[in-house]
This record gives sequence, C-alpha cells and structure tokens, in this order.
Amino acid sequence: MTLSPFTIALIGVIGLLGIGFYGLMISRNLIKIVVALQIMVKGALLGLVAAGNANGQIGLGQSMALTVIVADTIVAVMGIALGVQIRRRLGSLDVRDLSSLRG
Amino acid sequence: MLTTLTLLTIGLPWLGAICILLVGDDHRRLLNILAASFAVLAGIAAVAALPLATSQAILLASLGGVFGDFTLIPDGLALSVAAIAAVVGSLAVIFAIDYMKHSQQLARFYALVLFFIGAMVGLAVSGSLLFTFLFWEITAFCSYALISFHNDDPRAVRGGIQALIMTQVGGIGLLAGALLVYAYFGNYQVNSLLEGFQAVPPGVLSLVAFGFLVAAAAKSAQVPFHAWLPDAMEAPTPVTALIHAATMVNAGVYLLARFYPAFAAVPGWRLSVMAVGVLSALLAGLLALTANDIKRVLAYSTISQLGYMVYAVGCGAIFAAQFHLFSHAIFKALLFLSAGAIITSIGTRDLMRMGGLRRPMPFVYAAFVIGSLGLVGLPIANGFFSKELILEGGLTEGPFAFYLLMLLGAGITALYTIRLLWMVFHGERRGPEPAHDGLPAMRVALGLLAFGTLTTWLLAGGFSRLLADTLPLHGIEAESTWALVQQVCLAPATWIALGVIALAFGIWFIRSKLTAPAETLRPLASAGFGLEELPRRIADWTDRAAVSLQITQSGQLNWNVVAIPLALIAILFVLLGFK
Repeated sequence: MTLSPFTIALIGVIGLLGIGFYGLMISRNLIKIVVALQIMVKGALLGLVAAGNANGQIGLGQSMALTVIVADTIVAVMGIALGVQIRRRLGSLDVRDLSSLRG
Repeated sequence: MLTTLTLLTIGLPWLGAICILLVGDDHRRLLNILAASFAVLAGIAAVAALPLATSQAILLASLGGVFGDFTLIPDGLALSVAAIAAVVGSLAVIFAIDYMKHSQQLARFYALVLFFIGAMVGLAVSGSLLFTFLFWEITAFCSYALISFHNDDPRAVRGGIQALIMTQVGGIGLLAGALLVYAYFGNYQVNSLLEGFQAVPPGVLSLVAFGFLVAAAAKSAQVPFHAWLPDAMEAPTPVTALIHAATMVNAGVYLLARFYPAFAAVPGWRLSVMAVGVLSALLAGLLALTANDIKRVLAYSTISQLGYMVYAVGCGAIFAAQFHLFSHAIFKALLFLSAGAIITSIGTRDLMRMGGLRRPMPFVYAAFVIGSLGLVGLPIANGFFSKELILEGGLTEGPFAFYLLMLLGAGITALYTIRLLWMVFHGERRGPEPAHDGLPAMRVALGLLAFGTLTTWLLAGGFSRLLADTLPLHGIEAESTWALVQQVCLAPATWIALGVIALAFGIWFIRSKLTAPAETLRPLASAGFGLEELPRRIADWTDRAAVSLQITQSGQLNWNVVAIPLALIAILFVLLGFK
C-alpha cells in the first residue's frame, strides 16, 4: 500500500496536533506548555499548506501559513514573557502555583 | 457642527472615564476635578446642540451589510433626552464630590458614572437600532455595576443582578424587534421603520411593537418588570438620582415615543401601553404609601411617574410625555439628591428614625419641599404643567376609566408625598442628630435643580417648537409657553386634578381614623403584591448557579489551555454542520 502525499501530510497534522494537545494537558512547566502550544500550531500550519495543495490553491495556503507564523511568533513571545514575569513574582514556573483564578 | 457636538456629548464623558481610570484611586482631588469638568463639558455640548436639531439622519460610517450604517438622528426628541442625561448627570457628579468623600475606589465610581452618561446620550441619538441596542446594553451594564458598587454588601449584589436580568429581558425584546426590522428593510435604520412601516405585514409589525413594549417596560421599571428599581436603591445616592430617576429609566419612554407613529395603528398596542402605564402608576403609588425607606418611597414614586409618561404615550400625547420626562428628571433628581444629603447627614435611610429635621436642615428642607411641589404637581413647579398636560391628553384621547384611575393616582401621589415630607421633616425627632445641612458641592447641585424645578416650565413653548419642527411624523403642534399655560389653567382637567390633590391632603390630616384600611393594605404591599418575589428568586437562582459552576473554575492552567483547542474544535464542527 502506497500512501499519497496528502495522506502523509494529514497523518503529520494529526500527529502534531495530538502531541501538542497531550503536552498541554500534562505539562506542569510553563515553558513546556508554550512549546506544546507551538507544536499544535505547527500541525495547523502543515494542515494549511497541505489543504492549499490539495485544493489547487497553493499560493493561498502558503500565504495563510506565513500569516499564522507571524501571529504565532507573537503568541510565543508573549507566553514566554509572561513566564518570565511569573518566575520573577512567584519564584516558580509550575502552573500548579498559578491558582489565584480558582472560583 | 451638529455632528461634532453630538459626538462630543458621547465622547467627552467616555474620554473622562478613561482618564479617570488612568489616574487611579490615589489622587482624589484630581479625580473630582476631572469627573466634574468632563461631565459639565458634556452637558454644555448637549445644550449647545439643542438649537441645531434636525430631522435628517446623519451618516457617520458604513459598516457593511451585516452591521449596516451607523447613523445619528439628532432630532428634538433625541437631543432633549441626551441633554437631560448630560446636564442632570453633571449635577449628580458635582453632588457626588461631597457624597463620596469618604468612599473607597472613587475612580471606579466616577468612571462608571461617566461611561454611563456617554452611553445614555448614544442610546438617544443613535439612528441605527443595532447601535441603540448596543448602547442600551452598556447602560444596563453600568447600572448593574453601580448598583453593586458596594460589592461587599450581599443586598447590593443581589439588587445589581436583579436589575441586570430584568433589563436583559427588555434587551431581548429590543434585539428581536431590531432583527425583524432588518429582515424587512435590510438595514437597522430607525427612519426606515418609521417611514416604511406600512410595508411590514401587520402580524410582524405587532410582534415588533410588543417586543419594544416589553423592552420599554423592563427598562422603565413598569409592571410587571418593576421590582428591580426599588432593589436598585442600594446604589450610592447620586447614582440613584442619575440612573434610576433621571436618565436610564427614561429610555423606555423614549423608545415608545420614538416609534409611536409606526405602532399607533397596531391593534391593541395603544391600549396595552396605556394599561401598563395606569397599572404601574397605581400599584407603585400604593407601594410608596407603605414603604419605610426614604429611597424606596422615591423609587416607587419614580415607577409611578414613569407610568404617567407611558400612559401619555399610549394616549398619543407625545409632547406631554416628553415634557413630563423633562420635568420629572429635574424634580426627581432634586428629591433624590436631597434624600442623599439627609442620608449622609444622619446616617440612616429609615423613615422611622427621621422626623423633625426641618429646623436643623432648612436648606435641604426647602429643596425637598420644592421637589415635592413638582412631584405632586402643584402650580409654579414644572411638574404641575406637565402632569396636567398628560391628564388633559388622557381625558380627550384615552378611555374615561383610565383617566379616572390616573386621577386617583394623582391623589395617591399627593398622599405619599405629604407622608414622606411629614415623616422626614416634621413631628418628633426620632433619630440621630444631623451632622450638616448639605455640604457645599451638594448645595450647588440642589440649588440649581431647585431653580430648575421652579422655572423649567417656562421652556415649554421652546420645547414644543423643538419637537414639532424636527418630528414631522409624531403630530406635535408647536405652541407658545403662554398658550400652553393658558390651556392648562383653563382646562377642567386641571381643576379636577387639583381638587383630588386637595382631597388627598385632607385625608392626610384625618389619617388617625384611617389606620384600619392602611393596616389591611400593609401586608399585601410589603409583599409587593407578589410581583417582587419572582425577580428576587431569579436573582437567587443565578447566584446559586454561579456557585455550582465554580467547579469549572479550577484555576489550573492545563485545563484552561486545553479548553481553548476543545472550543475551537467544537466551533469547527458547528461550522461544518452548517455547510
């Protein structure tokens, strides 16, 4: 059985999203959470490019992916910056210490 | 010019609110100055816009097919409501300088008040129903946040939630009406509905009309949605005077008056509007007779006076309704602010602990008496002319039974007003020694409002010309002040009403013989005729639901972050389902 390129890309997308989601659920470290989020976004990027290719609109998919890269970088920077602030104030990066929003 | 002034009236208070939030709680003097100056500037802009009023809609921005055009309709109706909000608002802010002297979190207070003033002006002048709805909800939010200002007091929190839920019911009515308008005209413009309502099928038009009636009744605290207003009395008194007497509650009457030409022909609509007004006026009057909290008495009297305005709109007496709205805003703000001065002076709201305050507080006493003249509708005060115009309109246009009930309402008004005046200022001193007779900033606000109560009826002619010139569809005739005064003085309705009021005063002096019927009324009224229980329960349910939903707020970052992708996936499936 030979897999088409699109199927391979799709497996990649689901794999990356799954890994990222798993990471979001179980990581206690704030930096790791940001990394997991990044992995999820990379899965979405791959999905965009693959979908553009399958749809025949390669340019559209790629330009969308580029836009997401830019936005995503900002998200990562913000996340890490918050992490730095939290480390300074609480002295830890463990998310279990961030429970002041508990209802 | 007109556009600039109108936008300034919305924008200045909002700008002020942002400045105040940026300054923060620590600089109290600066906060006072900022709040008062922005509010006064907005008031000046609103008054300056009045002579320029036009019936043409002004396009501000096109926001595409979904949101439609954002337009202004700066006609007499809109600008007068806006000016009342801005001017009374600025006086309430000046009063608050003294009233909130020892209060914490002053910045939050001023920011919300200013934000509210801007939103109320926006509500009035917006020509697009969608934006009217938006501003409507902002006023509801500000009202909620200010009622619950003392958020460590459970009664204040409950009152706020109750107000929010009730006005949301009204908001749904307004939104439903706006969406139906969009379905038929492809835009949200007020003017398309007013000019093209014949094109709408009668069934749909009546749906819109009754939707708006529900919205108006909820916002103006009319029966059966009135219960939130008395419970809103937990708010600081300047807020009560501003929101729950002079501005926000007027929005309902304004809405009905605005769309009267479109809905007048809907079968049963006018009768329903009149019935809502009559019921509210009478029921709230009876409740005011038995309440023992000075602010609650005034709250019930507000409901009752708003009932008069709603009734006048139902009769088609738009000018009388708007004129009473104008008068009421002034004399009720005066009464509430006087009550605020009394409350800060002796530290209680309980009428049983007042009495005999006439001698130690002559200034406040004089202000309160002038406000009472307006409320009862005795000559020289503005309330006399506006209320008589309403009763006259009711006699000529409405059913005779309703007119008689409204006359009875005028009598009840006189009765509860003299009861209030007596229990606060006359008789034996039952409570603590008053600390002051109105602080300086309070006196400024009270003095100006008292002057307004005695003189604003002189503006009747100009006001009627303003409305008649800019509202071609409402059938308002311009008349001079002198002609209106003559009309009022010569109308038999006036003399009948004055007779009823005199009778009510007479009843007050033989009150000792009437304790038996009063006692039978009391348990019934203290239960609010059963209508106040339901909203309280709803507020309690909301509270309990919030507590039980607290488990979703685990405070764990993992769950919160996981919820975001889950929600995105859910949205994806919904969108795929719609495809």
